[in-house]
Amino acid sequence: MLVLSFVPSLALADEPSLVEWAEHRIDAGIVKPLAEREGSRFSRSRPPPHERRIRVNEASLSKDRRGRSFVAFAIDVRFGGDWQKDDIVGCVYTGSGDLFVKRGDGYRAAAFLFGKKADPVGGVCTPAPTSTRS
Amino acid sequence: MACRVKHKVQRFLAILVRRGFLVTMLAGSALITAMSVAYFDFETLPPFVVEKLPVRFEALWLASLRIHVAAAALSFPLCLSLMTRMLQRRPVWHRWLGRVTGVVVLFALVPTGTVLAFDAKGGWSVTVGFLLSAAIVAAAIVLGVRAARRRDLTSHARAMRHVVGQMSVAVVSRAMIVGLDTVGFDPDLVYVVALWGPVLASVLVVELVSRRGDFWNRNHVPFVERIHRELTPLALVMRARAVVRPVARPGR
Repeated sequence: MLVLSFVPSLALADEPSLVEWAEHRIDAGIVKPLAEREGSRFSRSRPPPHERRIRVNEASLSKDRRGRSFVAFAIDVRFGGDWQKDDIVGCVYTGSGDLFVKRGDGYRAAAFLFGKKADPVGGVCTPAPTSTRS
Repeated sequence: MACRVKHKVQRFLAILVRRGFLVTMLAGSALITAMSVAYFDFETLPPFVVEKLPVRFEALWLASLRIHVAAAALSFPLCLSLMTRMLQRRPVWHRWLGRVTGVVVLFALVPTGTVLAFDAKGGWSVTVGFLLSAAIVAAAIVLGVRAARRRDLTSHARAMRHVVGQMSVAVVSRAMIVGLDTVGFDPDLVYVVALWGPVLASVLVVELVSRRGDFWNRNHVPFVERIHRELTPLALVMRARAVVRPVARPGR
């Protein structure tokens, strides 16, 4: 164990962890653009939250049916004192950095949140069923 | 003298409140219209639509939203202008603009609002609130038109005040949403309060204003003023009733 602890890690010291990378990607791809898009509105739409926080639910990667790796995440919002969990739920793909968010029963490209028309995409953000043999 | 001054102050305040209301609502209507231009960008969905989707009948809902917004942008300023003395003194203009407004409200604004109500956020309590508001508007338009046709202008004014009152909910409700959000209230609760509060308050205020109007229309104050003017030393020995109602009436 002592010898192993002196073996240098293959990972570089300044390389972000998966969670850090995902948080950065979600922040740049969803949280910041949403904040820029939300001004003071005189409308019946929900007022912009006072704060948003990102939670990356799984530190480990999942794979969808096509074998692509993704990490699930949730964004919580705060209006007054209490946080409202899971305001936005979605996933980020590690290879492409593609972001998807859940709306209704399906997942759509995150661009939907910024007003782009995006239909639900089948099979994304859903872990492939693992075949277990007894 | 004191009575006359009081009457003049009351009249001045009434005019001030009336004009203040009309100007505020006109500004609010213009602001809502400016904010609603995004609904007609067919490439990009505005935040309100993004927030709502998916809905059960998306095409119907989107079409209803656009028609509703366009109808409101046209009919609310028209309703406000019909409330002004300037148009009320021009019967032909008032009648024709009233007809156009009534048709837009009854056949575009109310039906589309009813469709939208069923997918309103906030659940059944908000749906019922929007449906109640729509029902008041529709009923008031019908009653108001019928009253105008039989030349009952008091009932016509009362009914049309209800229409304007319910339309003003659009402005008051949004102002409440913005204001209560600043204080930090839960937006879901604010949405319900900001709908029901103005809907019920509008009914109450219109009824109060209409009854007050009835009182003034009965010329109670001019009667009192006339009594003051006509009250000569000789009149002091006469019965006041003879001064107030000098017209001979059939006996009992």
